[in-house]
Amino acid sequence: MEHTATYTEAELVQGLKARDQKVFGYLYDHYSPALYGVIVKVLNDNSSAGDVLQDVFLKIWRYLDSYDERKGRLFTWMLNIARNTAIDILRSKSHKLDQKIQNITDAVHSINGPLAVHQSTDYVGFSRILEKLTKEQRTLIDLAYYKGCTQEEISRVLDIPLGTVKTRMRNAIIQLRTILNK
Amino acid sequence: MDAQHFISSGIIELYMAGIATEEEVRELEAAIVQFPAVATEVESYRHSMEEYIRMQGLNPATDVKASLFNKINNEPNLQEGSPVPGQNLQQPKVVSMQEQETKSLSWKWIATAAAVLLVGSLVLNYVFFNRYKEFREYKDKYQSLLVSQNSILSKSNLYKTRLEQMQESMEIIQDPHVLKVPLPGTKPFPEALATVFWNPQSQQVYLKVNKLPEPAADKQYQLWAIVDGKPVDMGVFEMGDTASLLQKMKVIGKAQMFAVTLEKKGGALSPTMEQMYVAGKIPG
Repeated sequence: MEHTATYTEAELVQGLKARDQKVFGYLYDHYSPALYGVIVKVLNDNSSAGDVLQDVFLKIWRYLDSYDERKGRLFTWMLNIARNTAIDILRSKSHKLDQKIQNITDAVHSINGPLAVHQSTDYVGFSRILEKLTKEQRTLIDLAYYKGCTQEEISRVLDIPLGTVKTRMRNAIIQLRTILNK
Repeated sequence: MDAQHFISSGIIELYMAGIATEEEVRELEAAIVQFPAVATEVESYRHSMEEYIRMQGLNPATDVKASLFNKINNEPNLQEGSPVPGQNLQQPKVVSMQEQETKSLSWKWIATAAAVLLVGSLVLNYVFFNRYKEFREYKDKYQSLLVSQNSILSKSNLYKTRLEQMQESMEIIQDPHVLKVPLPGTKPFPEALATVFWNPQSQQVYLKVNKLPEPAADKQYQLWAIVDGKPVDMGVFEMGDTASLLQKMKVIGKAQMFAVTLEKKGGALSPTMEQMYVAGKIPG
Protein backbone atom coordinates (compact mmCIF):
# COMPACT_ATOMS: atom_id res chain seq x y z
CA MET A 1 0.00 0.00 0.00
CA GLU A 2 1.21 3.44 -0.99
CA HIS A 3 0.35 5.38 2.12
CA THR A 4 3.08 6.12 4.58
CA ALA A 5 1.20 7.76 7.41
CA THR A 6 -0.83 5.80 9.92
CA TYR A 7 -3.69 7.35 11.80
CA THR A 8 -5.35 6.64 15.07
CA GLU A 9 -9.08 6.20 14.82
CA ALA A 10 -9.71 9.63 16.34
CA GLU A 11 -7.38 11.22 13.75
CA LEU A 12 -9.12 9.30 11.01
CA VAL A 13 -12.54 10.52 12.06
CA GLN A 14 -11.32 14.08 12.43
CA GLY A 15 -9.70 14.04 9.00
CA LEU A 16 -12.72 12.49 7.36
CA LYS A 17 -15.11 15.00 8.89
CA ALA A 18 -12.83 17.70 7.52
CA ARG A 19 -13.25 16.09 4.05
CA ASP A 20 -9.57 15.32 3.79
CA GLN A 21 -9.22 13.19 0.66
CA LYS A 22 -5.81 11.89 1.72
CA VAL A 23 -7.38 10.50 4.89
CA PHE A 24 -10.25 9.10 2.87
CA GLY A 25 -7.70 7.39 0.58
CA TYR A 26 -6.06 5.85 3.63
CA LEU A 27 -9.47 4.71 4.87
CA TYR A 28 -10.15 3.08 1.52
CA ASP A 29 -6.81 1.31 1.37
CA HIS A 30 -7.16 0.13 4.92
CA TYR A 31 -10.77 -1.00 5.01
CA SER A 32 -11.88 -1.75 1.46
CA PRO A 33 -10.84 -5.46 1.58
CA ALA A 34 -12.97 -6.11 4.66
CA LEU A 35 -15.96 -4.23 3.26
CA TYR A 36 -15.52 -5.77 -0.18
CA GLY A 37 -15.37 -9.21 1.44
CA VAL A 38 -18.70 -8.55 3.16
CA ILE A 39 -20.30 -7.35 -0.08
CA VAL A 40 -19.07 -10.34 -2.08
CA LYS A 41 -20.17 -12.77 0.62
CA VAL A 42 -23.63 -11.19 0.85
CA LEU A 43 -24.23 -10.88 -2.89
CA ASN A 44 -22.19 -13.92 -3.90
CA ASP A 45 -21.58 -12.00 -7.10
CA ASN A 46 -18.22 -10.52 -8.11
CA SER A 47 -19.55 -8.59 -11.09
CA SER A 48 -21.63 -6.03 -9.18
CA ALA A 49 -19.63 -6.06 -5.94
CA GLY A 50 -17.19 -3.37 -7.18
CA ASP A 51 -20.04 -0.94 -7.88
CA VAL A 52 -21.59 -1.71 -4.51
CA LEU A 53 -18.26 -1.11 -2.79
CA GLN A 54 -18.03 2.28 -4.48
CA ASP A 55 -21.59 3.05 -3.31
CA VAL A 56 -20.68 2.06 0.23
CA PHE A 57 -17.66 4.40 0.28
CA LEU A 58 -19.77 7.19 -1.22
CA LYS A 59 -22.25 6.69 1.61
CA ILE A 60 -19.41 6.77 4.15
CA TRP A 61 -18.15 10.03 2.61
CA ARG A 62 -21.62 11.53 2.49
CA TYR A 63 -22.91 10.47 5.90
CA LEU A 64 -19.72 10.92 7.94
CA ASP A 65 -21.33 13.69 9.94
CA SER A 66 -23.89 11.25 11.30
CA TYR A 67 -21.14 8.97 12.64
CA ASP A 68 -20.93 9.24 16.42
CA GLU A 69 -17.69 7.84 17.87
CA ARG A 70 -19.30 7.52 21.29
CA LYS A 71 -21.67 4.88 19.93
CA GLY A 72 -19.09 2.59 18.38
CA ARG A 73 -15.93 2.22 16.37
CA LEU A 74 -15.62 3.59 12.86
CA PHE A 75 -14.98 0.08 11.51
CA THR A 76 -18.21 -1.19 13.10
CA TRP A 77 -20.10 1.72 11.56
CA MET A 78 -18.62 1.07 8.11
CA LEU A 79 -19.24 -2.68 8.32
CA ASN A 80 -22.89 -1.96 9.10
CA ILE A 81 -23.16 0.32 6.08
CA ALA A 82 -21.57 -2.30 3.83
CA ARG A 83 -23.69 -5.15 5.19
CA ASN A 84 -26.96 -3.20 5.12
CA THR A 85 -26.33 -1.87 1.61
CA ALA A 86 -25.46 -5.30 0.27
CA ILE A 87 -28.36 -7.05 2.03
CA ASP A 88 -30.75 -4.39 0.71
CA ILE A 89 -29.54 -5.20 -2.80
CA LEU A 90 -29.77 -8.94 -2.13
CA ARG A 91 -33.33 -8.56 -0.87
CA SER A 92 -34.38 -6.35 -3.75
CA LYS A 93 -32.94 -8.89 -6.18
CA SER A 94 -34.62 -11.93 -4.72
CA HIS A 95 -37.32 -12.11 -2.13
CA LYS A 96 -37.39 -15.83 -2.31
CA LEU A 97 -35.91 -17.83 0.48
CA ASP A 98 -35.00 -20.62 -1.94
CA GLN A 99 -32.71 -18.33 -3.79
CA LYS A 100 -31.07 -17.32 -0.56
CA ILE A 101 -30.41 -20.93 0.32
CA GLN A 102 -28.86 -21.38 -3.09
CA ASN A 103 -26.73 -18.30 -2.49
CA ILE A 104 -25.46 -19.43 0.88
CA THR A 105 -24.70 -22.91 -0.42
CA ASP A 106 -22.78 -21.39 -3.30
CA ALA A 107 -21.01 -19.06 -0.92
CA VAL A 108 -19.84 -21.93 1.26
CA HIS A 109 -18.59 -23.82 -1.78
CA SER A 110 -16.89 -20.87 -3.39
CA ILE A 111 -14.45 -20.36 -0.52
CA ASN A 112 -11.82 -22.35 -2.37
CA GLY A 113 -13.11 -21.26 -5.75
CA PRO A 114 -12.19 -18.33 -7.98
CA LEU A 115 -12.53 -15.84 -5.13
CA ALA A 116 -9.41 -17.24 -3.54
CA VAL A 117 -7.37 -15.31 -6.09
CA HIS A 118 -8.34 -12.02 -4.49
CA GLN A 119 -8.10 -13.28 -0.95
CA SER A 120 -6.41 -10.76 1.29
CA THR A 121 -3.50 -11.56 3.52
CA ASP A 122 -5.34 -13.17 6.40
CA TYR A 123 -6.40 -16.21 4.45
CA VAL A 124 -4.05 -18.43 6.41
CA GLY A 125 -5.50 -17.16 9.68
CA PHE A 126 -8.94 -17.71 8.31
CA SER A 127 -8.33 -21.36 7.44
CA ARG A 128 -7.21 -21.83 11.02
CA ILE A 129 -10.63 -20.62 12.16
CA LEU A 130 -12.44 -22.76 9.64
CA GLU A 131 -10.82 -25.84 11.07
CA LYS A 132 -12.25 -25.10 14.46
CA LEU A 133 -15.76 -24.26 13.41
CA THR A 134 -18.09 -26.98 12.24
CA LYS A 135 -19.60 -26.57 8.81
CA GLU A 136 -22.98 -26.04 10.45
CA GLN A 137 -21.62 -23.33 12.73
CA ARG A 138 -20.21 -21.49 9.71
CA THR A 139 -23.47 -21.85 7.83
CA LEU A 140 -25.39 -20.53 10.83
CA ILE A 141 -23.15 -17.48 11.19
CA ASP A 142 -23.09 -16.82 7.45
CA LEU A 143 -26.89 -17.09 7.07
CA ALA A 144 -27.41 -14.67 9.91
CA TYR A 145 -24.64 -12.21 9.24
CA TYR A 146 -24.14 -12.28 5.49
CA LYS A 147 -27.65 -13.13 4.33
CA GLY A 148 -29.51 -11.20 7.00
CA CYS A 149 -31.76 -14.14 7.81
CA THR A 150 -33.99 -13.99 10.88
CA GLN A 151 -34.16 -16.85 13.41
CA GLU A 152 -37.36 -18.06 11.75
CA GLU A 153 -35.79 -18.03 8.31
CA ILE A 154 -32.74 -19.96 9.50
CA SER A 155 -35.05 -22.46 11.17
CA ARG A 156 -36.85 -22.97 7.87
CA VAL A 157 -33.72 -23.06 5.71
CA LEU A 158 -31.87 -25.56 7.87
CA ASP A 159 -35.04 -27.36 8.94
CA ILE A 160 -34.23 -27.23 12.66
CA PRO A 161 -36.49 -25.97 15.48
CA LEU A 162 -36.33 -22.31 16.45
CA GLY A 163 -34.99 -23.11 19.94
CA THR A 164 -32.22 -25.20 18.44
CA VAL A 165 -31.29 -22.33 16.11
CA LYS A 166 -30.77 -20.08 19.14
CA THR A 167 -28.75 -22.66 21.09
CA ARG A 168 -26.52 -23.61 18.18
CA MET A 169 -26.04 -20.01 17.08
CA ARG A 170 -25.01 -19.09 20.59
CA ASN A 171 -22.49 -21.91 20.67
CA ALA A 172 -21.14 -20.90 17.26
CA ILE A 173 -20.57 -17.30 18.35
CA ILE A 174 -18.99 -18.41 21.62
CA GLN A 175 -16.73 -20.79 19.70
CA LEU A 176 -15.79 -18.00 17.33
CA ARG A 177 -14.79 -15.78 20.23
CA THR A 178 -12.82 -18.58 21.84
CA ILE A 179 -10.82 -19.12 18.64
CA LEU A 180 -10.20 -15.47 17.86
CA ASN A 181 -9.65 -13.94 21.27
CA LYS A 182 -6.88 -16.34 22.23
CA MET B 1 -31.70 -8.71 35.31
CA ASP B 2 -28.19 -8.05 36.57
CA ALA B 3 -25.08 -7.94 34.38
CA GLN B 4 -24.12 -11.54 34.87
CA HIS B 5 -27.58 -12.78 34.13
CA PHE B 6 -27.67 -10.72 31.01
CA ILE B 7 -24.30 -12.00 29.84
CA SER B 8 -25.41 -15.61 30.25
CA SER B 9 -28.83 -15.02 28.69
CA GLY B 10 -27.48 -15.53 25.17
CA ILE B 11 -28.86 -12.28 23.85
CA ILE B 12 -25.39 -10.87 23.18
CA GLU B 13 -24.48 -13.82 20.96
CA LEU B 14 -27.73 -13.55 19.00
CA TYR B 15 -27.20 -9.80 18.72
CA MET B 16 -23.72 -10.38 17.32
CA ALA B 17 -25.03 -12.81 14.73
CA GLY B 18 -27.62 -10.20 13.78
CA ILE B 19 -30.65 -12.30 14.68
CA ALA B 20 -31.70 -10.74 17.99
CA THR B 21 -35.30 -9.52 17.99
CA GLU B 22 -35.98 -5.79 18.15
CA GLU B 23 -36.98 -6.12 21.79
CA GLU B 24 -33.75 -7.97 22.63
CA VAL B 25 -31.76 -5.29 20.82
CA ARG B 26 -33.45 -2.60 22.93
CA GLU B 27 -32.81 -4.56 26.14
CA LEU B 28 -29.17 -5.03 25.20
CA GLU B 29 -28.66 -1.37 24.37
CA ALA B 30 -30.11 -0.44 27.74
CA ALA B 31 -27.88 -3.02 29.49
CA ILE B 32 -24.75 -1.71 27.73
CA VAL B 33 -25.46 1.75 29.15
CA GLN B 34 -26.34 0.36 32.57
CA PHE B 35 -23.65 -2.30 33.10
CA PRO B 36 -20.00 -1.77 32.10
CA ALA B 37 -19.48 -5.55 32.31
CA VAL B 38 -22.10 -6.07 29.60
CA ALA B 39 -20.48 -3.37 27.46
CA THR B 40 -17.09 -5.10 27.82
CA GLU B 41 -18.61 -8.46 26.91
CA VAL B 42 -20.31 -6.98 23.85
CA GLU B 43 -17.04 -5.38 22.75
CA SER B 44 -15.22 -8.69 23.15
CA TYR B 45 -17.77 -10.48 20.99
CA ARG B 46 -17.78 -7.63 18.51
CA HIS B 47 -14.04 -7.86 18.21
CA SER B 48 -14.12 -11.57 17.39
CA MET B 49 -17.01 -11.11 14.97
CA GLU B 50 -15.24 -8.28 13.19
CA GLU B 51 -12.06 -10.28 13.08
CA TYR B 52 -13.96 -13.14 11.49
CA ILE B 53 -15.33 -10.73 8.90
CA ARG B 54 -12.01 -8.98 8.34
CA MET B 55 -10.27 -12.30 7.75
CA GLN B 56 -12.64 -12.99 4.93
CA GLY B 57 -11.63 -9.73 3.28
CA LEU B 58 -11.05 -9.64 -0.46
CA ASN B 59 -9.09 -7.15 -2.50
CA PRO B 60 -11.37 -5.20 -4.83
CA ALA B 61 -10.35 -4.39 -8.39
CA THR B 62 -7.94 -1.46 -8.50
CA ASP B 63 -10.13 0.74 -10.72
CA VAL B 64 -12.82 1.01 -8.00
CA LYS B 65 -10.74 3.48 -5.99
CA ALA B 66 -10.00 5.70 -8.98
CA SER B 67 -13.67 5.72 -9.95
CA LEU B 68 -14.66 6.52 -6.35
CA PHE B 69 -12.36 9.54 -6.13
CA ASN B 70 -13.42 10.67 -9.56
CA LYS B 71 -17.03 10.70 -8.33
CA ILE B 72 -16.20 12.53 -5.13
CA ASN B 73 -14.34 15.25 -7.02
CA ASN B 74 -16.85 15.69 -9.80
CA GLU B 75 -20.14 15.58 -7.99
CA PRO B 76 -20.74 18.90 -6.25
CA ASN B 77 -23.20 17.45 -3.77
CA LEU B 78 -20.50 15.13 -2.49
CA GLN B 79 -18.07 17.97 -1.76
CA GLU B 80 -19.87 18.94 1.38
CA GLY B 81 -21.72 17.01 3.99
CA SER B 82 -25.13 16.05 2.71
CA PRO B 83 -28.14 15.86 4.96
CA VAL B 84 -28.08 12.91 7.30
CA PRO B 85 -30.37 10.12 6.18
CA GLY B 86 -33.16 8.99 8.42
CA GLN B 87 -31.73 5.55 8.99
CA ASN B 88 -29.43 5.03 11.92
CA LEU B 89 -26.19 3.72 10.50
CA GLN B 90 -24.66 3.37 13.92
CA GLN B 91 -26.33 0.10 14.83
CA PRO B 92 -26.67 -3.14 12.95
CA LYS B 93 -30.02 -3.33 11.33
CA VAL B 94 -32.29 -6.19 12.19
CA VAL B 95 -33.62 -6.83 8.73
CA SER B 96 -36.43 -9.26 8.51
CA MET B 97 -38.04 -10.42 5.29
CA GLN B 98 -41.25 -8.66 6.22
CA GLU B 99 -39.49 -5.40 6.94
CA GLN B 100 -37.60 -5.69 3.72
CA GLU B 101 -40.77 -6.23 1.80
CA THR B 102 -42.22 -3.02 3.13
CA LYS B 103 -39.05 -1.29 2.03
CA SER B 104 -39.34 -2.19 -1.61
CA LEU B 105 -42.50 -0.19 -1.77
CA SER B 106 -42.08 1.12 -5.28
CA TRP B 107 -43.38 -1.93 -7.14
CA LYS B 108 -45.90 -2.63 -4.42
CA TRP B 109 -47.29 0.85 -4.82
CA ILE B 110 -47.40 0.37 -8.53
CA ALA B 111 -49.15 -2.96 -8.08
CA THR B 112 -51.59 -1.41 -5.60
CA ALA B 113 -52.22 1.52 -7.91
CA ALA B 114 -52.73 -0.87 -10.81
CA ALA B 115 -55.14 -2.96 -8.74
CA VAL B 116 -57.04 0.17 -7.71
CA LEU B 117 -57.21 1.31 -11.32
CA LEU B 118 -58.35 -2.12 -12.39
CA VAL B 119 -61.09 -2.16 -9.76
CA GLY B 120 -62.07 1.38 -10.78
CA SER B 121 -62.18 0.35 -14.38
CA LEU B 122 -64.29 -2.70 -13.52
CA VAL B 123 -66.70 -0.54 -11.57
CA LEU B 124 -66.96 1.90 -14.44
CA ASN B 125 -67.39 -0.98 -16.86
CA TYR B 126 -70.19 -2.25 -14.73
CA VAL B 127 -71.81 1.18 -14.46
CA PHE B 128 -71.52 1.88 -18.15
CA PHE B 129 -72.62 -1.58 -19.12
CA ASN B 130 -75.71 -1.12 -16.97
CA ARG B 131 -76.34 2.23 -18.57
CA TYR B 132 -75.90 0.63 -21.94
CA LYS B 133 -78.36 -2.10 -20.97
CA GLU B 134 -80.78 0.56 -19.72
CA PHE B 135 -80.27 2.46 -22.92
CA ARG B 136 -81.02 -0.69 -24.91
CA GLU B 137 -84.13 -1.27 -22.86
CA TYR B 138 -85.21 2.29 -23.50
CA LYS B 139 -84.43 1.90 -27.15
CA ASP B 140 -86.59 -1.22 -27.34
CA LYS B 141 -89.33 0.53 -25.41
CA TYR B 142 -89.03 3.54 -27.66
CA GLN B 143 -89.33 1.37 -30.73
CA SER B 144 -92.33 -0.52 -29.42
CA LEU B 145 -93.87 2.80 -28.45
CA LEU B 146 -93.23 4.04 -31.96
CA VAL B 147 -94.92 0.97 -33.37
CA SER B 148 -97.88 1.24 -31.05
CA GLN B 149 -98.12 4.94 -31.77
CA ASN B 150 -98.21 4.16 -35.47
CA SER B 151 -100.87 1.58 -34.97
CA ILE B 152 -102.84 3.97 -32.77
CA LEU B 153 -102.42 6.60 -35.42
CA SER B 154 -103.65 4.31 -38.17
CA LYS B 155 -106.50 3.15 -35.97
CA SER B 156 -107.31 6.71 -35.19
CA ASN B 157 -107.33 7.42 -38.93
CA LEU B 158 -109.65 4.50 -39.38
CA TYR B 159 -111.92 5.81 -36.65
CA LYS B 160 -111.76 9.24 -38.18
CA THR B 161 -112.84 7.82 -41.54
CA ARG B 162 -115.56 5.83 -39.86
CA LEU B 163 -116.66 8.87 -37.95
CA GLU B 164 -116.78 10.89 -41.16
CA GLN B 165 -118.75 8.15 -42.83
CA MET B 166 -121.11 8.06 -39.87
CA GLN B 167 -121.48 11.80 -39.93
CA GLU B 168 -122.20 11.60 -43.64
CA SER B 169 -124.77 8.90 -42.97
CA MET B 170 -126.29 10.98 -40.20
CA GLU B 171 -126.54 14.00 -42.46
CA ILE B 172 -128.27 11.91 -45.10
CA ILE B 173 -130.71 10.46 -42.62
CA GLN B 174 -131.34 13.77 -40.89
CA ASP B 175 -132.22 15.52 -44.16
CA PRO B 176 -135.97 16.31 -43.74
CA HIS B 177 -136.63 15.47 -47.41
CA VAL B 178 -135.32 11.92 -47.02
CA LEU B 179 -137.84 9.15 -46.83
CA LYS B 180 -137.06 6.11 -44.74
CA VAL B 181 -138.30 2.95 -46.42
CA PRO B 182 -138.06 -0.20 -44.27
CA LEU B 183 -137.69 -3.39 -46.32
CA PRO B 184 -138.84 -6.33 -44.18
CA GLY B 185 -138.03 -9.92 -45.03
CA THR B 186 -140.11 -11.82 -47.53
CA LYS B 187 -141.84 -15.05 -46.73
CA PRO B 188 -138.87 -17.37 -47.49
CA PHE B 189 -136.46 -15.06 -45.55
CA PRO B 190 -138.44 -13.68 -42.61
CA GLU B 191 -135.33 -12.76 -40.66
CA ALA B 192 -133.90 -10.50 -43.34
CA LEU B 193 -134.14 -6.71 -43.02
CA ALA B 194 -132.88 -3.67 -44.94
CA THR B 195 -133.68 0.06 -45.05
CA VAL B 196 -133.66 2.44 -48.01
CA PHE B 197 -133.20 6.18 -47.53
CA TRP B 198 -134.52 8.03 -50.52
CA ASN B 199 -134.48 11.72 -51.23
CA PRO B 200 -137.05 12.25 -53.98
CA GLN B 201 -135.84 15.83 -54.50
CA SER B 202 -132.18 15.03 -55.09
CA GLN B 203 -133.14 11.54 -56.32
CA GLN B 204 -130.36 10.10 -54.12
CA VAL B 205 -130.85 6.57 -52.83
CA TYR B 206 -128.95 5.02 -49.88
CA LEU B 207 -129.18 1.48 -48.63
CA LYS B 208 -128.57 0.27 -45.11
CA VAL B 209 -128.29 -3.49 -44.61
CA ASN B 210 -129.83 -4.35 -41.23
CA LYS B 211 -129.72 -8.08 -41.59
CA LEU B 212 -128.90 -10.16 -44.61
CA PRO B 213 -127.11 -13.51 -44.76
CA GLU B 214 -123.55 -13.37 -46.15
CA PRO B 215 -123.82 -14.47 -49.82
CA ALA B 216 -121.69 -17.10 -51.60
CA ALA B 217 -118.54 -15.82 -53.24
CA ASP B 218 -120.04 -15.78 -56.72
CA LYS B 219 -123.27 -14.06 -55.66
CA GLN B 220 -124.18 -10.49 -54.91
CA TYR B 221 -127.26 -8.71 -53.62
CA GLN B 222 -128.94 -6.28 -56.00
CA LEU B 223 -131.35 -3.45 -55.20
CA TRP B 224 -134.35 -2.86 -57.35
CA ALA B 225 -136.84 -0.01 -57.53
CA ILE B 226 -140.34 -0.88 -58.67
CA VAL B 227 -141.57 1.95 -60.87
CA ASP B 228 -145.11 1.57 -62.13
CA GLY B 229 -144.93 -2.22 -61.65
CA LYS B 230 -141.59 -2.61 -63.45
CA PRO B 231 -138.25 -3.38 -61.76
CA VAL B 232 -135.49 -0.83 -62.30
CA ASP B 233 -131.86 -1.79 -61.49
CA MET B 234 -130.48 0.28 -58.63
CA GLY B 235 -127.09 -1.49 -58.53
CA VAL B 236 -125.36 -4.22 -56.57
CA PHE B 237 -123.97 -3.58 -53.09
CA GLU B 238 -121.25 -4.89 -50.84
CA MET B 239 -121.66 -6.94 -47.75
CA GLY B 240 -119.12 -7.50 -44.94
CA ASP B 241 -117.82 -4.40 -43.10
CA THR B 242 -119.26 -2.05 -45.69
CA ALA B 243 -122.74 -3.37 -44.92
CA SER B 244 -122.82 -1.45 -41.62
CA LEU B 245 -122.70 1.84 -43.51
CA LEU B 246 -125.12 3.59 -45.78
CA GLN B 247 -124.29 2.62 -49.35
CA LYS B 248 -124.98 5.04 -52.13
CA MET B 249 -127.05 3.46 -54.86
CA LYS B 250 -128.14 4.68 -58.31
CA VAL B 251 -130.41 7.73 -58.50
CA ILE B 252 -134.12 7.54 -59.18
CA GLY B 253 -136.84 10.20 -59.18
CA LYS B 254 -139.87 8.04 -58.95
CA ALA B 255 -140.62 4.69 -57.28
CA GLN B 256 -143.37 2.91 -55.39
CA MET B 257 -141.34 0.11 -53.89
CA PHE B 258 -137.82 -1.20 -53.27
CA ALA B 259 -136.66 -4.79 -53.18
CA VAL B 260 -133.39 -6.76 -52.84
CA THR B 261 -132.69 -9.99 -54.68
CA LEU B 262 -129.69 -12.28 -54.66
CA GLU B 263 -128.13 -12.42 -58.10
CA LYS B 264 -124.93 -13.62 -59.74
CA LYS B 265 -121.91 -11.43 -59.13
CA GLY B 266 -122.16 -8.09 -60.93
CA GLY B 267 -125.92 -8.14 -61.00
CA ALA B 268 -128.65 -9.24 -63.36
CA LEU B 269 -130.79 -7.43 -65.91
CA SER B 270 -133.98 -8.55 -64.28
CA PRO B 271 -134.61 -9.70 -60.75
CA THR B 272 -134.91 -13.36 -59.83
CA MET B 273 -138.19 -13.33 -57.94
CA GLU B 274 -137.50 -16.56 -56.03
CA GLN B 275 -134.41 -14.97 -54.57
CA MET B 276 -136.13 -11.85 -53.28
CA TYR B 277 -134.96 -11.39 -49.69
CA VAL B 278 -136.57 -8.11 -48.67
CA ALA B 279 -139.13 -5.74 -50.16
CA GLY B 280 -140.94 -2.65 -48.87
CA LYS B 281 -143.38 -0.11 -50.15
CA ILE B 282 -142.70 3.57 -49.95
CA PRO B 283 -145.02 5.02 -47.36
CA GLY B 284 -147.62 7.53 -48.36
